[in-house]
Formats: sequence, C-alpha cells, structure tokens
Amino acid sequence: MDRILLRFSEENVEEPITSQVILELGIPMRIVTATVNSLGGDILVEVPAVHVEKIVKAFKAKGVIVKFPKLIEVDCDKCYDCGACYALCPVDAISYEEDYSVVFDEKTCIGSPCGLCVDACPARAIKLVEQNRNNRK
Amino acid sequence: MDSSKKSNIRTISEINQKIKSGDVQVVTAEEMKKLVESSGVEVAYKQVDVVTTGTFGAMCSSGAIINIGHSDPPIKIQRAWINDVEVSHPGAAVDLYIGATMMSETQPYEYGGGHVIEDLIAGKEVEVRATAYGTDCYPRTKLDTTITKDDLNQFFLLNFRNCYQRYVCATNSRDEVIYTYMGKLLPKFRNATYSGAGCLNPLMNDPNYETIGIGTRIFLGGAQGYVIGEGTQHDPSNRFGTLMVRGDCKQMSPEFIGGGAFTKYGTSLYVGMGIPIPLLNIGLAKKTALRDDEILTDIVDYGVPRRSRPKLGKVSYATLKSGEVTINDRKIKVSSLSSLKKAKKISEKLKSWIENGTFFLSAPAESLPTDSVCNVMRQSKEIAFVSSVFHEAVTCRVDEEIKAVAQRIISKSVNHVIVTDKLGEIKGIVTSWDLTRAIAEGKSRLADVITKRVFTTRPEETLEEASRKMAQHHISALPVLDHEKKVVGLITSEDISKLRGR
Repeated sequence: MDRILLRFSEENVEEPITSQVILELGIPMRIVTATVNSLGGDILVEVPAVHVEKIVKAFKAKGVIVKFPKLIEVDCDKCYDCGACYALCPVDAISYEEDYSVVFDEKTCIGSPCGLCVDACPARAIKLVEQNRNNRK
Repeated sequence: MDSSKKSNIRTISEINQKIKSGDVQVVTAEEMKKLVESSGVEVAYKQVDVVTTGTFGAMCSSGAIINIGHSDPPIKIQRAWINDVEVSHPGAAVDLYIGATMMSETQPYEYGGGHVIEDLIAGKEVEVRATAYGTDCYPRTKLDTTITKDDLNQFFLLNFRNCYQRYVCATNSRDEVIYTYMGKLLPKFRNATYSGAGCLNPLMNDPNYETIGIGTRIFLGGAQGYVIGEGTQHDPSNRFGTLMVRGDCKQMSPEFIGGGAFTKYGTSLYVGMGIPIPLLNIGLAKKTALRDDEILTDIVDYGVPRRSRPKLGKVSYATLKSGEVTINDRKIKVSSLSSLKKAKKISEKLKSWIENGTFFLSAPAESLPTDSVCNVMRQSKEIAFVSSVFHEAVTCRVDEEIKAVAQRIISKSVNHVIVTDKLGEIKGIVTSWDLTRAIAEGKSRLADVITKRVFTTRPEETLEEASRKMAQHHISALPVLDHEKKVVGLITSEDISKLRGR
C-alpha cells in the first residue's frame, strides 16, 4: 500500500470527488486521516501500490493536488535511540531493531493529527512536517 | 602458564600486566551472560579477566564546574548566566557550576544546563553574562563575553548522583496525560516507561561494590573519568546504589553525553558511563552473569503525586526490554528512556580500549558503603492534605428538575452540586452560576446545563496540588473521589483560603 495526500481547494471541496474516483476506477482506498472544512482540506489515503499512477491521474484530472507526503522527520544525528517515543505511537510505527536502534516506519505514521511522540522526545529529534496548506500557489 | 591461572584469585596489577602485554581477555556484560550459559561459570572465570558494562541515560544530578579565568578589571561574580541558563557561583571569583537541570530563562524546558555542557563539549561558542556587587579588589560589576571550551582553565564534569543501579517502571492512573521525569504518561495506564540498562548496568554487575570505589577509573562521556565516591541518596540495602563521578569534559564526545528536554518537567543531561569489572574471584564471575530476567523492579503509579507512590506489581528487565508489560491484566507498550543501543556501544568501546592497551584498571582507594541508609526529609512544618479540609458534597441526579437543584443550593447554602449516578460515581457538576445561566437562556433540562468533564482530586493529594489544579483550569471547586472513583466530598477554593487565613 502507498500513501498519497489529496489536497482540496475552496472551489472543489464540496464536490464528491473521492467517491467519484472510487466508483469510476473500482479501486478501494483507505482514508487514514482527513482535515477538511469549507475552505478546503487534506485527505490522506492509502491505496494499492500497483494502482497509484492511475489513481493520481484521476484525482489530478478533477483538479485535486496530489502529493506523496513526508509526514514526519527524524533527525538521526540527534536521536539517542532511547525509544521514549515507542510506547506512545497509536499505530505501531516505531519499533526497536535487534541492536536496540529505534526505527520509524514512515509509511505507517499518520503525521500531524497525532504527533504524540514529538514532545516526548528528550533529544527533540522528531518533527512533524507541516504540509504548508496556507502557502500553496 | 603463569601462576595466576593456577590460583583462584586475580589481582588488578596482574590484569594491568596483561593489558600491557596485550594478553588481556575482555568481554562485555552481555557476552558474559552467554559465555556462562554455554560454558559454565568456572570456564568463564578462567577465560575472562574483565567484564565491561555500560549505561546511557538522563542523570539529572549532574553538572560541570568551569573556571573562566580572571577578567580585567577583575570581577567577583555574584550571579551568572550561560546562554541564558543561570549557573551557580559557589566559589571565590570566576568558578561556575553548570547544573544540568537549570533551565534557560528564554527557552525554559527546551534548553538548559545539560545543553550548555553539550554545546561546550561540541566546541560551540557560548555567551557568558555575569553581575557582581563590586569590591575594592574586584571592582567590575558587569560582564558579557563569549567563550569556547578552549578558553576554560578547567572544565570538569562533577556529577553528584549518577548511575542508579536500577530504576522503577512508571505508569499513570489519572484521567489526564502527565509529564514527568519518567517521560510522557498517557491516561489510565495506556503506556509505561522505564530507565536503566538492566544486565549491562555497572552497579548491577558488582552489587556489593567489591571492585568499584573511590578512584575507580571508568568510561565517562566518551573519555576516561573516575568514581569519586558514593552518590547522594546512595541506598545499597535496597539495591539502589548511586555514584559520584568526575571526568574531563575537554576529552569527552557529544556522542556519549548530551542535553535532554522533558516537556513540562525540565532539562537534564544524558550521561554515558561504563565501568570495567575485574574478575578478581569466581564470585564476581557469577555476579557478572546476572541476566535481565533476574533483575526485578517495581511498577509504580506516577499518577499519585506523593513520595510513596502506589506499587502495582513487579517486572523484570527482560520483560521491560521486550517492549510490553502487563498492568491490571492488560498488555501495554513500555518505552525505555535510556538508550540500550548506546549502553551496549559503551560496553563495547570500553572493551576495545582495554584490549588496545589504552585503558588500565585502577584499584579503589576506598570502598563504597554497603550498609548506609537513605532517609526521607524531616519536615518541621506539617503540610496539609485534601483529606483534612474537604467536606460532604451536595449531590443530585441528572434527571432531577432544575428547580429542585436550585432549592437545594439555597437550603444547603452551597455553590456546587455534584451529579452522581446510582453507584455514587460522578457524572458531572453544576454550579449556581450554571443554573442562573439556564434561567437566562431558557433551558429547562438539567442535562443541558451540567459540566460533564470534571476535574477531581483525592483525599491524599496535597492542598497545594489541589489549588494548582483549580488555578490551572480556572475553576473554584474539586469533587473528592476515593480509589473506587466514588464521590466522597468536595473541596472549594474558599475552603483552602480559609485554612491559609488561619
């Protein structure tokens, strides 16, 4: 499964675009998080990797901006590999390796609606990546 | 065969001879457990001269003493700050102690003494500000300069309590997230944290301090340092021993020492420490074979802000390292706050130093105490608890008429009525102000008026904690709940101010 971020504008947020794409392509998508209001919004969806291209094309054709989001950034030089973040993650995106390295699975992380790990990091090595909704052109 | 292999004991000078000749046999504490399991303790004792240990964790009772040299005209510093972190001035003129937990006045909780020490060790420039009252011999009253570690005459880590033998596993019973020195604890036992390296911990591998004492050479922050005595709160009889250590910061590396920030708690210093345990006798070989499943610690409820926090059970370091513990029959994830990866790396680094002949063992000049006790504070003024102030609460049910509740407020002359269910559990709170507003807004159902999210207290909480809660949430009363979450009373800000006025 791959994750894509769909960005809706004030103009198209009221259209049932996501449902249309699902119906047209007949491909199921899992909505991971959604932050939407009348001015637009972001929906993070998980789609089968083999169909990513087709799905991206369909959304773009309907005027939706599609991104492959980086939701979290971990500064490995700062990280102490303690794992203070580990037990806080609600989606099990953080784990210990055999040698006790702490690793983040960026594909599982849900990013800004959560962020439970960010202020728990004593080395301040974790940052949520702002999706810059207000700065878009 | 040399004679030492035939006899049953080794001496430190024999081991140092072997380090010199390159014949020394060193294993890390982790490797030692495996060796003993596969070959038995006698074979392991014959083969191994030294076992190396390691730990890397937040050690708040740490700091560095620096001497910044005399200015011209000279100053006798009274107060001083480095990168806006107040440092203490314990001595004559220009000696400063950077305490790890002192916080920046401009970036509190994010930057502190631990970070200043880290920045200096990393070679960064820091800003020193100081004030003084001025004397005939030290006329200067103000100072503002930038320095690096190269400008310091002395820069020594001087930690008065480090390297706890083991520590507790923390969790939280409260309904809210709490931020502690044991990290972020989610409500209702949803996570847990622990600290310490378990079987790699230095003091755990020599629990009776047979080889560790004043003058023991150790790995400290990536350089060679020394044990200078037992640490404060050293509590050997409860297996909570601690160490006081010293090391030259100018030789240290940011890889093994650095600042830490604990949200809403404060700053600290992560310290990397490793101690070599010479296997002087077979007893020590047995002790260094101690496994994680044999080291137990308590699971403690940090939701209760008292000195003696409730213990919820025991857990081994093997379970803690698995990432999951069972609390109240439920499995929850448990985080390590110290770095097991770095602890292991330190034990390996120390091993390579000894093998390369760059680190020699030292015999302690004096042993650490094994029978001292750690007392609690003598409090000459008694502090008050909620239990001594709270009174009976006036209650109602959610389906009662607003009028009936209003009458009760008048007849009992109170401002707060607690909404409970049949079992006496809290469902909400309603105040005289809420009822006034209900009339003004024409609301007739009690359910539309009550506040459902209620902040509460317990009889054993201190009055200080209760008033802090009220101030924090801008409220004037807290229902008092017992351990079964049943309402036992109410405490108001008025109750507290009456007591203070006495």
